[in-house]
Amino acid sequence: MRRLVSMIDTRSADFRRHDAHNRALLASFREKQDQARHARPLRDLERLAKQGKMRPRERIEKLLDPGTPFLELSSLAANMAYDGESPSASCITGIGIVAGREVVIHADDSTVKGGAWYPLTAKKIVRALDIAIENRLPVVHLSDSAGGFLQLQSQVFPDRHMAGRIFRNQSILSKLGVKQLALVFGQCTAGGAYIPALSDYNVIVRGTGAVFLGGPPLVRAATGEIVGVEELGGADMHTSISGTCDYPAATEEEAIHIGREIVAQWEGPKKWDCRRDAPEDPAYDPAELYGILPDDIKTSFDMREVIARIVDGSRFHEYQPAYGTTLVCGFANIWGFRVGILANNGVLFNDSSLKGAHFIELCNQNNTPLVFLQNITGYMIGRDYERRGITKDGAKMIMAQSCSHVPKFTVMCNGSFGAGNYGMCGRAFDGRLLFTWPNHQIGVMGGDQAANTLAEVKLNQMKRNGEEVDEAALRDLWAETRSAYQDQLSAYYSTSELWDDGILDPVDTRNALGIALSASLNAPLGVPGYGVFRF
Amino acid sequence: MTTVSCPSVRSVAEAEPPFAKVLVANRGEIAVRVMRTLAEMGIASVAVHHAVERSAAHVLLADEVVELEGATPIAAHLDGAQIVRAARAVGADAIHPGYGFLSENADFARAVGEAGLVFIGPRPETIRLMGDKISAIEFARANGVPVAPSVMPTGDLDAFLAEAEAIGFPLLIKAAAGGGGKGMNIVRSAADLAEAARLAASEASRYFGDGRIYAERWVERPRHIEVQILGDGRGGAIHLYERECSVQRRFQKIIEEAPAAALPIALRDEICAAAVRLARAADYANAGTVEFILDADGRFHFLEMNTRLQVEHPVTEMVTGIDLVRAQIEIAAGRDLRLAQDEISLRGHAVECRICAEDTENGYLPATGTIRLLEHPQGRNIRFENALSRGQKVTTDFDPMLAKLVVHGRDRGEAIDRAIEALGDLAILGVTVNVDHLARILGHEAFRAGALHTGFLVEHAATLAPPATSEAERDRALIAALLGFHEFRELMAGVSEPHASIGFWRN
Amino acid sequence: MGPTLILEGNAHTVEVLRWRPRLVVLVDGRRHEVTDVDDGRDGHRSAVVDGAVVEFMRAADDGRCHLRIDGRTFEIDRIDPRDAAGGDDHSHDVVRAPMPGVVVDVHRSAGEAVLRGEKIVTIESMKLQTALVAPRDGVVAALRRAAGDTFDKDAVIIELEPLSGEA
Repeated sequence: MRRLVSMIDTRSADFRRHDAHNRALLASFREKQDQARHARPLRDLERLAKQGKMRPRERIEKLLDPGTPFLELSSLAANMAYDGESPSASCITGIGIVAGREVVIHADDSTVKGGAWYPLTAKKIVRALDIAIENRLPVVHLSDSAGGFLQLQSQVFPDRHMAGRIFRNQSILSKLGVKQLALVFGQCTAGGAYIPALSDYNVIVRGTGAVFLGGPPLVRAATGEIVGVEELGGADMHTSISGTCDYPAATEEEAIHIGREIVAQWEGPKKWDCRRDAPEDPAYDPAELYGILPDDIKTSFDMREVIARIVDGSRFHEYQPAYGTTLVCGFANIWGFRVGILANNGVLFNDSSLKGAHFIELCNQNNTPLVFLQNITGYMIGRDYERRGITKDGAKMIMAQSCSHVPKFTVMCNGSFGAGNYGMCGRAFDGRLLFTWPNHQIGVMGGDQAANTLAEVKLNQMKRNGEEVDEAALRDLWAETRSAYQDQLSAYYSTSELWDDGILDPVDTRNALGIALSASLNAPLGVPGYGVFRF
Repeated sequence: MTTVSCPSVRSVAEAEPPFAKVLVANRGEIAVRVMRTLAEMGIASVAVHHAVERSAAHVLLADEVVELEGATPIAAHLDGAQIVRAARAVGADAIHPGYGFLSENADFARAVGEAGLVFIGPRPETIRLMGDKISAIEFARANGVPVAPSVMPTGDLDAFLAEAEAIGFPLLIKAAAGGGGKGMNIVRSAADLAEAARLAASEASRYFGDGRIYAERWVERPRHIEVQILGDGRGGAIHLYERECSVQRRFQKIIEEAPAAALPIALRDEICAAAVRLARAADYANAGTVEFILDADGRFHFLEMNTRLQVEHPVTEMVTGIDLVRAQIEIAAGRDLRLAQDEISLRGHAVECRICAEDTENGYLPATGTIRLLEHPQGRNIRFENALSRGQKVTTDFDPMLAKLVVHGRDRGEAIDRAIEALGDLAILGVTVNVDHLARILGHEAFRAGALHTGFLVEHAATLAPPATSEAERDRALIAALLGFHEFRELMAGVSEPHASIGFWRN
Repeated sequence: MGPTLILEGNAHTVEVLRWRPRLVVLVDGRRHEVTDVDDGRDGHRSAVVDGAVVEFMRAADDGRCHLRIDGRTFEIDRIDPRDAAGGDDHSHDVVRAPMPGVVVDVHRSAGEAVLRGEKIVTIESMKLQTALVAPRDGVVAALRRAAGDTFDKDAVIIELEPLSGEA
């Protein structure tokens, strides 16, 4: 494959301005991430130390194989919810390597309200287990959670994708033959108790680990029975009497050591044989992405420059280079894995939609995973385009994309507005993983457009009702709408609500996709086939 | 498992083997070494061993094996009566005692003879004469061999002390029946004499069951020079030149060489002649070693005579080309010495290093462990005398000497260089050994200069201590170790792609 | 997280940054690239560290590596998290009866040094003879049963002298 030739002038004023802008965004992202990961009240940390417990990140570091990557997911989940009371949604999830095997890790964070599950905690754990199911990845639970956060129980407990889904997903994983291991570090009460119980293997730490449906206070309140933690659900009771737990461990470190040995016993993955070549670093420095991404969402840029800084050797085989040019399609390698890339270079027209649909079919026919790089303002609108069938052409692309049997991955690079989000494998389309860059905005339309639209509607309403047009009220409405919109358009809102699997430093994209691609091969390819294309 | 490259042994017309079967009443490297010559001579070998030694090298090498009973392995190897019974039971013609154990036990030698077997060694009365320090010194004095001014034991301690004081200080107090450095004491002033004498006597009675002690002039910076002799038992004796064994720790040799470093020819001839005189006077029959102390002024005096094969005999074999075990066997069989004195010549220089399981940085304390790795140098100029195998446990049951590395060179400098190189290629891992220390001694400028004396190691202790490791050395060592740990190798093999290439990465 | 190695009484941390195509490690924070890695087996081996060939002789098991390199012999211990964890673990100081039975033979006595795996006592239970062996190198502190004595399951039969702090 030929190397892409970059047209970027890294000495230009634009480049340097963009670079400064995006590095500032990145610094702000890292700052938020650092807060979410490490800032905790001293009181909680002291309590942990007194119990001889490690922080969840220490446990993960000890669990992982040395010299291997850990792809953390949704590190800023819940960053705009609950007044910031639930950093990272009170848990850590990600994909890492344990005893040579790719696993999903779910770790409760007992430094936040005893690891209690907020609504977004449940959503994040469910998502992690969905990833495990979709990719057939074994799961290691590092359990240290008091269960649901009672004050918000209506948003944690009852609905289809709330806490119950965790246990449903655990059961389905087991049915699929995907292993799960729980290491019990703390008191796992109520719902939390089912995680080790539904795991194929579990290890419990003597002294600090406990598993029970109701803790001593609840037991006392319900039946009057007075019983201590150890007797009710401690390590020795569960490993020698109830059989709820398998291995007792003297310390957290020993539990992790046993856990690693357990994972080492598991049969190796049977991955499907995606084409893989020797990897090669990109020929262009990925850090140049900071100077390529604009400082204004309205400024366009060439996605080939982005591709050149993500794919192996910056080599790209472009499909239909002269047709439907607002959608760049082509083949490339990422960490050696052959992928088909679809990247937006402007609004989607009829030809670009048809090209996209066709390219997706080619990749499916060739068993080539798909990578979508979104920077889309939508499908073209207007009389001419509707007459040419822009809606049914867009529908073809959505149909082809939705029905793909190859793994799909999406990176939100700059903007994602309107139905373009759908055609380009937005969150609703079950991509294996979806990441967002810090500069990205997402919404049904841009803030200006939304404010304009609502102001227009209001004006018409006033006119219809024969009211006098109140310019000031219209201006207020416009400003209000735009401001509310702008907040919800940001990458931070998106990631807070788990509309993605986390914000990525653009430079990290290549590694994240490499890990994601590798993980995706654990699941067999889906069943090929499509629905009805409207021609 | 011994792999030895022998220097060319002077070819002797192969006559009928003097014996059909010989029992080797020893173990370890010396048993293996004796059996090698037995095999070359077409003589069947019989090994003896204690139950704990069933898979020892000498047992595996022997043509026949007898297991000895004994409360401890050492007790079994010291049980002369049982060994004689074993030799008769298997129909052996002779017993070779090696060194140590029963090799200088006159009663054993007599018992062997009385059982109708041949003891490969001198007559019992010669062993007795030379085994007793006092009778040996008196015999030497009587035959014109220089001896140190000394005081013989008397029943009267006060008289002993007075006589000793008259010789002057420093004085060496020794057990009359002693050996191996036990019961020895240096006294530097009259004030310490009485206490030292009392201590030496009590140690002597504890170790040797004989509390008699004697005192002699202690030579400062003495060199230990010994002469290898062969006697035919009929007054005929020749020497095979000298060895130097001055590098010692705790009165025990660790590096020996032949010939001695920078010994004037005339002095060498004088010393060798004295040794031959002694052997002839005793009608000595066997290979033997006459040990002398040589002082800085070139005066020497008789120390003792060892009536057996010496640990360090290979250096002599290397520079003379004579197989001393073969010579012992032929003499024991009553054959004549095949060689005249003028047929013995020296070729080059040989150095022997005793590889011991000991912690040189911690008072030479014996070390124990399991041999995890055994790698040794090979080559025409190298003999690695050992009976070691991987997995062997090194215990305090036996002597800490595990093996001997003997290296030949065209001259002393080359022998030293080759010995250092050979030590570099030697690895006995799993038990602490003195290999690094030996290499540092050989490489020491004072050693190269031949400035040797028995206090060499003490004098140069500071410069012989291992230098502090550098950061770079430590890093290399840690990396080399890391690459050997099972868990690390499992990870190395087990980490999948692309993760192994992405490496440590956090987003 | 990399292993902790003890060399000459000092702890060193080794972190792996990357396994392939070249092994990259941090030794106490110092970066080294290792290529032409040896096969990991015992014996005379070599590797290329930062471009220079390093030869060594090595014998390693899980926890301890004996190494001869640059004319020096080292013992390098790897800290096992299990060992590091169980600070109060004296389980290797005593040998307990695996089943009830009778002592039929005593091979070593108090005060004697024993190596790991050495037989100390033979017991018989249900017509089955079992050797109780030293769980580690050490010195027999006490034999709590003599030949002919009976005992219950889990009874302490042998005590070893506790390891003195050999830090």
